[in-house]
Amino acid sequence: MAETVEPVVLPDIEKEEQTGAQSELEPGYLVICWDDPVNLMDYVTHVFQVVFGWPKPKAEFHMLQVHNQGKSVLTRESMERAEHYVHQLHSYSLHATMERDA
Amino acid sequence: MKLIQRDGESFLFHISKREKGLLFEVLKLYPLIPIAHHRVSQTAAALGVTETQKLLESALADRTRENKRQLLAMLNQETRLQEPDGAHRLTLSGPQMEWLLQVLNDIRVGSWLILGEPDEKKGKPIELNDENARYYAAMEFCGLFQMTLLDAFQQSS
Repeated sequence: MAETVEPVVLPDIEKEEQTGAQSELEPGYLVICWDDPVNLMDYVTHVFQVVFGWPKPKAEFHMLQVHNQGKSVLTRESMERAEHYVHQLHSYSLHATMERDA
Repeated sequence: MKLIQRDGESFLFHISKREKGLLFEVLKLYPLIPIAHHRVSQTAAALGVTETQKLLESALADRTRENKRQLLAMLNQETRLQEPDGAHRLTLSGPQMEWLLQVLNDIRVGSWLILGEPDEKKGKPIELNDENARYYAAMEFCGLFQMTLLDAFQQSS
């Protein structure tokens, strides 16, 4: 990921609020964003804010996780929701996939 | 190119004649990312999401066609670029900014793919030649325009 900003404060990882019945969430799919050297850090942060509606600190946390660790698990969803998010991320040309939660 | 005024959902940018020409030339490259480049999963076959991959490619193809249509409309709509006192003005709504970010990033990432996916961290430098040099320029210019749009969002938040 192309560098544009430095981290300031890393927030605590927030537990995703689950809605709906458990059966609707199974099988679980992880939405993962992978690192690449071309997407700008500020751009990735912006996309996470827009697609997931996250506040900037949480979006920056996941952007830095992608940058430093090579990937970040963004959310765990039902297959349908995971498809939706992956599609959204692809429309912004981010390298994102959905993988079945082991 | 810089933001000079925001009025509600409308962003007014100053853009020099040279920048305008550059932006429009770069936008003519859209789309650059092959639809098949996007993979829904790294283990698609094992997961049984082949159908999902097909749906994703179909949806992306539809979106690309719509983006191209809007892009041509924008490039042909000179009224969007007013020139009071010789200055060029570009007015964009929030959704148009979001759309332009996506289009610019398609060109940026697509240029990077054409350049052979250079990655300095992995010791894979850019190897420029007469044929691919314009894509290096396009990648960098897209990054500059993207940062201008992102700064505008930042200033207004």
